[in-house]
Amino acid sequence: MNDPFATLGVEPRFGLDLRAVEQRHRELSRTLHPDRYAGAPAAERRLALGRAIEVNEAWRVLRDPIRRAEALVALAGVTLREEAAPKADPAFLMEIMELREELSEVARKKDRGRLAALAGQVRAREEKALGALGALLDSGGDDAKGAAKDVEKALPHLAELKYFRRFLDEVSAIEEDLTDALP
Amino acid sequence: MTLIDIFDPKARPTPIGIDLGTTNSLVARVRDGKPFVIDDCNGERLVPSVVHYDARGGTTVGHAAKRLAQAHPRETIVSVKRFMGRGADDPETRRLGPYEFMAPSTPEEAKSVRFQVRGRAVTPVEVSAELLKELRTSAERELRSVGPAVITVPAYFDDAQRQATKDAGRLAGLEVLRLLNEPTAAALAYGLDKQQNGLFAVYDLGGGTFDITVLLLDDGVFQVKSTGGDSALGGDDMDRALAGRLLAEMGVEGATEPEVVRLALDLARDVKHRLTESPAVEVEIPVAGSADATRQITVTRDEFDALVAPIVERTGVACRRALRDAGVQASELTGVILVGGSTRVPFVRSYVARIFGKEPLGDIDPDEVVALGAAIQADILAGSQERADEVLLLDVLPLSLGLETMGGVAEKILPRNTTIPTGARQTFTTYADNQTGFDLHIVQGEREMASDCRSLARFTLKGIPPMPAGLARLEVTFRVDADGLLSVTAKELTTGVEQKVEVKPSYGLTDEQVEEMLLAALDHGEEDLEQRRLVEGRVEADRVLLATRKALAADADLLEAGERERVEEAMTALEQAMKGTRAGVLQRRIEALDEATHGWAGRRMDRAVARAIAGRQVEDLESEVAHSKGVDQHVAEHRANAGGGG
Repeated sequence: MNDPFATLGVEPRFGLDLRAVEQRHRELSRTLHPDRYAGAPAAERRLALGRAIEVNEAWRVLRDPIRRAEALVALAGVTLREEAAPKADPAFLMEIMELREELSEVARKKDRGRLAALAGQVRAREEKALGALGALLDSGGDDAKGAAKDVEKALPHLAELKYFRRFLDEVSAIEEDLTDALP
Repeated sequence: MTLIDIFDPKARPTPIGIDLGTTNSLVARVRDGKPFVIDDCNGERLVPSVVHYDARGGTTVGHAAKRLAQAHPRETIVSVKRFMGRGADDPETRRLGPYEFMAPSTPEEAKSVRFQVRGRAVTPVEVSAELLKELRTSAERELRSVGPAVITVPAYFDDAQRQATKDAGRLAGLEVLRLLNEPTAAALAYGLDKQQNGLFAVYDLGGGTFDITVLLLDDGVFQVKSTGGDSALGGDDMDRALAGRLLAEMGVEGATEPEVVRLALDLARDVKHRLTESPAVEVEIPVAGSADATRQITVTRDEFDALVAPIVERTGVACRRALRDAGVQASELTGVILVGGSTRVPFVRSYVARIFGKEPLGDIDPDEVVALGAAIQADILAGSQERADEVLLLDVLPLSLGLETMGGVAEKILPRNTTIPTGARQTFTTYADNQTGFDLHIVQGEREMASDCRSLARFTLKGIPPMPAGLARLEVTFRVDADGLLSVTAKELTTGVEQKVEVKPSYGLTDEQVEEMLLAALDHGEEDLEQRRLVEGRVEADRVLLATRKALAADADLLEAGERERVEEAMTALEQAMKGTRAGVLQRRIEALDEATHGWAGRRMDRAVARAIAGRQVEDLESEVAHSKGVDQHVAEHRANAGGGG
């Protein structure tokens, strides 16, 4: 994976004006989209296709906070491997387990009100984790070493965010089932 | 204008847009910047998508074929689109219909449905190619020279269905510029015509397929946010539901002669059409067991609505999911665009209004809008410069692409609604010591288990050097182009020796088979094919030369020492080859020019990218200036305060 920030020509930071990045994605798409190369020689078409794919992929990474954070972590030289992924603390894991239990109960009872409340609760937690993650990733540290340390400190928040994401995905799936079951 | 078309020998071939529909097909072109549907020889714009195979091995297409369907139900293929890219065991082959299918004798044959027509096997690709040839003939009648084509497909078509459509185009002798999603085509025609910005839903219910697309129109940018649908849901299903009822009234139960099924389906379609205007219609049906006796029955719109409600309501699930995937509420939509003949059914209209909470837009011809959009896109792709700068279509992958992993689970590599073109890379390792081969199974769909998804391709990466389990590293790369078509490459990384395998998802016809069919279809086989390759080669050479000249005019300063000479040499050689008659030579010279311009093309792209970024950075700079002014002011105030305190 190439550096998505460089591909879109934006500063590598967590806090980005996504509307400006989207605009940049469009401008680059106008330049590189295969439609612009329909009449070009085959080699040039392949080249443009590869670069258009890169631009689309970069935008897909940057618009997603989790993948954006992972890209920043990779840029800081910290390798994320599945077996070495940061472990969330046991208290947090307990809490997630309890939330999950509640979720399956809500799904069983088809309780839309409680489902929405539960989703709201987790979204608020997600918001908070995003704030903490952003502050650490964009701290800039006192020097390169300090910045790398802050990136390390950001990793648990990243792990938490993944749990929240999975939880909210399940909420959507349940919402979908409940809605589609309506006459 | 027409005079110039006829007499200008240098007139460029006119690109065409084709709506290859389940029920009807159309061809359109752009003239003076506006799209028009081209009439067929009878002055009709809609060509019924019906192909009749006669006893002498010939074919009849369109209205004439439709008239033969009643007497020859098995020799006349109607709604072939429903079978495109589908396997021999597809549920589609078991629905109410008059056809007979060939039982596959090999696993290879089982990948494609084959109709049994007068003792021979006919694939849906071949039937579709007959339709496309008919449209091409109509276009040739109107245009001096027919150029490349954009063919529309349902947005929800999977890779196999897309590939089948593209091959049908090739088989019909068309240069397929692009496969364009039908809802996107409709939005393009509507958006450019009305010059309206906003968030739109396109609800496209055709004869056999249903699409729902949510897209943003923003000053010439058509950005698809999400798409969904069902490639086996449409007006045909309404006909079947009603035909079932008519057959019951006739006293026919269970399997019956194909003639009777065809008759019931045709009567049902007629009743459906008439019910659009009237609350109740009368229909004459034959009485079973008596040759000539008929009796009249009445079908009311309420009865019809009750019959089709379960079918139409299936679209609601897809609509809600598309809105959710796009992250928008129905209330945020600027408008709902209706496409496809089945949206004329009053029940469909009221259902759409209910789902989206607003009346759909009424000023669009649901039959023609897709073909018009395809013509516009063809015009842009074939080099209409002004339009190209103005319009940008950003479409998406309709169905997730994945790989089968341990335990038969489908792991998603590219999720649905990813903007195309797109790609992804995934690394795998061996699970046994000294394992020298690696099986990959590529699937498409949203289901959890690979066996529930559409199987696109299986292939084995061979020649991995023996080593302990977990050491080999295999990198698999997925690429989806602007047609929504997938290609996969895989390589082994550890040994430094790159193993590369290219796969094209198979749906039953290989490239070679398509080539063979093409050969067989031409009167003088090889000779004709060589002639055709030459003509196609010249068109391509022309295009490549034009592009190179344009590049020389704009970016000659990016050429390195000696490069210009090499490029010009290759251009001269190609010009020479264009005067010759050997397709092979022409092709090699095109490739040589390709090669000569390759490095330079990369530098030109870099420049274009730098310009696109720079255009924005000027604004960024301005906002930074404004920001730093703020800081200065802040510092000044701070000083003033400090001064005041001291």
